[in-house]
Amino acid sequence: MSGVDLLPFPWTTTTKPYGSALLELARARPDVLALGADLTRQTETDLIRDELPQQFVNVGMAEQNLMGIASGLARTGRCVFVHTFGVFATRRPFEQVAMQVAYPGLDVKIVGFMPGLSSPGGPSHQAVDDVALMRALPNMTVMDVADATEVRQAVALIAEREGPCSLRLKRGEVPVLFGSEHRLAVPDAQWILEPGNVAVIASGMLVATAVRAAHVCDEAGLPVSVLNVPTLKPIDREAVLEAARRSSAIVTAENHSVVGGLGSAVAEVLAEAGAATPLRRVGVQDTYAQASSAPWLFREHGLDVNAVAQAAWTAAGQPGQAPTAADVAVEPGRYAPV
Amino acid sequence: MPTQRPAVLEGACRPAPPELAGSGPLPATADLAALAATARRIRRHAVGMVAIAGMGYLGQATSSAELFAVLYRAVLRHGRDRFVLSPGHYAITHYAAAVEAGLLAQGALATYGVDGTWLESISTERTPLVSATCGALGQGLSVGVGLALAAALAGEDRRTFVFASDGEMEEGQTWEAAMFAAHHGLGGLVLLLDCNGSQVDGPIGTVTTIEPVSAKWRSFGWDVHGVDGHNVGAILAALEAATASVRPSVLVARTVMLEGLGSVGDDRDAHFVTFGPGDVERALADTAPAASAAPAPAAASAAAVAAGAAS
Repeated sequence: MSGVDLLPFPWTTTTKPYGSALLELARARPDVLALGADLTRQTETDLIRDELPQQFVNVGMAEQNLMGIASGLARTGRCVFVHTFGVFATRRPFEQVAMQVAYPGLDVKIVGFMPGLSSPGGPSHQAVDDVALMRALPNMTVMDVADATEVRQAVALIAEREGPCSLRLKRGEVPVLFGSEHRLAVPDAQWILEPGNVAVIASGMLVATAVRAAHVCDEAGLPVSVLNVPTLKPIDREAVLEAARRSSAIVTAENHSVVGGLGSAVAEVLAEAGAATPLRRVGVQDTYAQASSAPWLFREHGLDVNAVAQAAWTAAGQPGQAPTAADVAVEPGRYAPV
Repeated sequence: MPTQRPAVLEGACRPAPPELAGSGPLPATADLAALAATARRIRRHAVGMVAIAGMGYLGQATSSAELFAVLYRAVLRHGRDRFVLSPGHYAITHYAAAVEAGLLAQGALATYGVDGTWLESISTERTPLVSATCGALGQGLSVGVGLALAAALAGEDRRTFVFASDGEMEEGQTWEAAMFAAHHGLGGLVLLLDCNGSQVDGPIGTVTTIEPVSAKWRSFGWDVHGVDGHNVGAILAALEAATASVRPSVLVARTVMLEGLGSVGDDRDAHFVTFGPGDVERALADTAPAASAAPAPAAASAAAVAAGAAS
């Protein structure tokens, strides 16, 4: 079993957990190569570029070529990490990922930054369908990790895991939700808050949101448990079914479209098992967003603490108004979900 | 250190399954008459393979027969160099040439395109003896670039040959790869471009303008070798020059779709040929060994034609 070590709120943040973990991996493994498509600093690969330039290649703004080159390199036995924003790593080169990476089952790790509505850049820069696209590809492991501790562990973990992987990563300041005892494993989901009448099943940036929403509901008299799902494919079926058995309702929470992502994956597991547990899906509701700040977008599209608390409250059939979170002043170096 | 990678990824290509394996690679030859005869046999094999279903990618085989004959018999160091087949539809030529190179048993050709076969009509990850294949057009050069980059980074004496068709120049990814290869000076990379001027909807020139082909590649920083794609001597000389270059090189090989099949004619859809009555016999007569034009079999079964096409 994976260890759980959830730190108390409010959480701290750190920068470049991915870039430093990749550099550490590349120091130990000369077969590891980092490929980029411009965006070197933004994808934290300036660290490997500056220290191990022989293990870094900037392919330029050519994502289809990027995937083909990664495939050719991986066919010679190298472990290739490719980097760009999530939207450009999945939508534009989808056929190349399918035919040159996923189908041959090569050791190409696709690292996409700025998941979902965390990008202020509007629909062209917001990866709200990347999980759906990658989840549809046989052989592909799909991960959306919650914090810097998981980011660091994920790098070594996917390097050791044979075959292609798609990893979503928050850009910039990354919260530290978990302490040193926390252990990430594929495909294990983890109960990070329990017990509860309602289970919130969350991934990526919405894990912190789910924990805060659970706190808010707990204080209002509704115990809410939180299941952290860092691996969306293969999904931890047993953990999802356990959530169904021990809860009166399930809420999924993801920084992604509710079509094809975590909410869909959980619904598939529940339906195939004949579980009748009511399900609510928090996420982008089959729409495109716009160019605005991430906090505004998260509130506008119902990806905030209050939206998750509201979903849990109504799914549990609780009477009256759902509780709301008090505004938290966030100092530099601290993290509070919207 | 990493766990052991699958052996299939380490070598220059996927091995043929044991039941399909040939005698092993034949010694390379620079005998132009022998290479021309090899091209003729590739066409004859292809006629037999297309005869199995009565339709198929015959025009691709006849336009590229000399390119494959020279590459497989004179230039490619089997087991060391890498070969990427970008348009998977040309698998028919690859299989025929692999037989001629001793890499594939001739009997395997009788299974071309049949249900459950290893010799699929559009090549796949199961296709033996290629480093990578890309039925989706325009993807092969990027993979070849990755293979060439890997060899360059490792300081290995491996060359990467990519076969592509001129129609793939319509795909933007081709130019992404071209730009990268020249920028990184990938001299170990050689592109064989079959300029047959044909795409599914007809002559390329009726769809869009890809000319001037050579000038485009030259402007991207490649060494360009324009050749008559049916002249084995010209192809051999160009490939020898290309493999010695410090820059990525391209053979702009001008070809004709149904070259060598005069009796079958050129007024049909050469991109996907459907045999009419008597076509198989006429095509076999066209491709009979030059010295002793053998009479066409009166009523050959398709499988027998395929299995014995070169005999």
